[in-house]
Amino acid sequence: MSWDLREMSDTLRKTTFQAISHAGGGHYGGSLSVSEILTVLYFKVMRVNPENPDDDERDRFILSKGHGGPALYSTLALRGFFPVSELDKLDKPLSKFPKHIDRLKLQGIEASTGPLGQGLSIACGMGISLKQQQRGNRVYILMGDGECNSGQLWEAAMTAGKYKLDNITAIIDRNNCQIDGTCDDIMPIEPLGDRFTAFGWHVLTADGHDVEDLERALDAAALVKDKPAVIIADTVKGRGISFMENRPEWHSGALSPEQYEQAAKELGVTA
Amino acid sequence: MSIEYAQVKEVYGQTLTELGTRNADVFAVEADLMKASGTAPFKQAFPDRHLNVGIAEQNLVGVAAGLAAMGRIPYACTMANFMAKRACDQVAMSGAYNNFNVKLVGCYAGLTQEKNGGTHISFIDLGIMRSLPNMAVIAPSDCREFVQAVNVIAEFEGPTYLRMPKLLPESIFGQEHQFEVGKGYLFGDGNDVTIVSTGLMTATALEALEALEKEHIHARVLHLPTIKPVDTEMVVRCAQETGALVTVEDHSILSGLGGLVAEIVTEECPVPVRRLGLNDQFGLTAGLDFQLQHFGLTAENIIRNAKQVIQKK
Repeated sequence: MSWDLREMSDTLRKTTFQAISHAGGGHYGGSLSVSEILTVLYFKVMRVNPENPDDDERDRFILSKGHGGPALYSTLALRGFFPVSELDKLDKPLSKFPKHIDRLKLQGIEASTGPLGQGLSIACGMGISLKQQQRGNRVYILMGDGECNSGQLWEAAMTAGKYKLDNITAIIDRNNCQIDGTCDDIMPIEPLGDRFTAFGWHVLTADGHDVEDLERALDAAALVKDKPAVIIADTVKGRGISFMENRPEWHSGALSPEQYEQAAKELGVTA
Repeated sequence: MSIEYAQVKEVYGQTLTELGTRNADVFAVEADLMKASGTAPFKQAFPDRHLNVGIAEQNLVGVAAGLAAMGRIPYACTMANFMAKRACDQVAMSGAYNNFNVKLVGCYAGLTQEKNGGTHISFIDLGIMRSLPNMAVIAPSDCREFVQAVNVIAEFEGPTYLRMPKLLPESIFGQEHQFEVGKGYLFGDGNDVTIVSTGLMTATALEALEALEKEHIHARVLHLPTIKPVDTEMVVRCAQETGALVTVEDHSILSGLGGLVAEIVTEECPVPVRRLGLNDQFGLTAGLDFQLQHFGLTAENIIRNAKQVIQKK
């Protein structure tokens, strides 16, 4: 099956926005910045099986920035893992859709995350296992740029380099915002590409809101031999809602009725 | 009577290698302490299933979690102190919260760090680990039981912490002894007092049991190699039948075996309990015998406390 990726990423952004708004607010900023990335992964690049989420032939995806849960839940719903209507249970007590993703609650989630910086180590373990068994499945991991402050991430980056994990594609949601301000202010991470290069990675860049450019970069990453690949995807936090875009304060928040109306209008959300 | 100790790393390396021969899913994951864990033979036998992530304990646990996510059985090892404290959040989140089937081995555990001293002595690893939902916690008491535990936990599904002292007695149990997860073992059938012990201290507890008998004090030893899921029924039965308990561990009595036993008997069968171990203290730089003396982890002190706690009945 093939989808119009641009259209799908718009739908995903709207669905994500509605899910968070229905929950009374949440992590808008970093959920809206990854719509195109998740669309290209789940509707084009990755091997997934909504009928059998545990299909061993699937590619693995880790959302290391676990607060992007609403975006991943919406992606899985649109991809057919479960009905979109279930998204109204986001953040509800005991629901399958906690604020930070939980693999024990929802099939299709590979790893529970939330405390940042832990995903890449898990991805390394997966990549090592697949390589040791000479299997061709890939491991995809989406990390935040603020998350790159974390020491463990660089421990894992070294490991991926050492073990030449060319079955890992990491994507950095490079929106230059973290909770307390811009990444440049709180903890500068540039030159980010050079840092990964120094750790033994192949570095690619992409426009994180251009589905074609993302697909190109993901295809190129899959061809890299003997090195893990990272795509630094330039994105806009809060993408699609003018008063949220590039505003660190919209890492997480709730909308007033007026703000909701304006945001819905800008995104083209009806009803 | 002095206890003869053996180096556990040799036992671990050999056991894991044999396990790796039988089970192609077993991995050894190290953080630059292979020389302390003893897995060089495993590396030689299975170079593609032996990983070394360098001095990076958080990553160690995460990599193990990723292997477990793929259905493999990783034995990740670092010093017990680092596993429980440096990698605490990774153990809690990447391990326990995810309920990944990781085997976390804390080597040079407890006072067997000896002269590495207070910076290296793990004294709250059992407490931290048993506080984590999903986590099983195992502390074998001799080399034979340790071998059994290494093999048994490969079949036991779920995150597991295995306490691995640098030194353990070669053999303190009979040939019939077989470690099972969650089972407590009784030695002696006296009704005057129960000595509850785990890990390194069971040998000393058994020594105290024998000495007490000579003084016509009829004790028993409850050996708890599994701290979690603990054999609650056995602890309660001992409290009911003997009415007084002494706990012994080379670990903090806050949160450790002492804390655990006190929690159980307080709820189920309140009786006097004496807890022997580190009491809100760090370890120190000294050989094992000195440490054991210093913290009162001797047969003599167990006997003294047993007599005192009997008086409190």
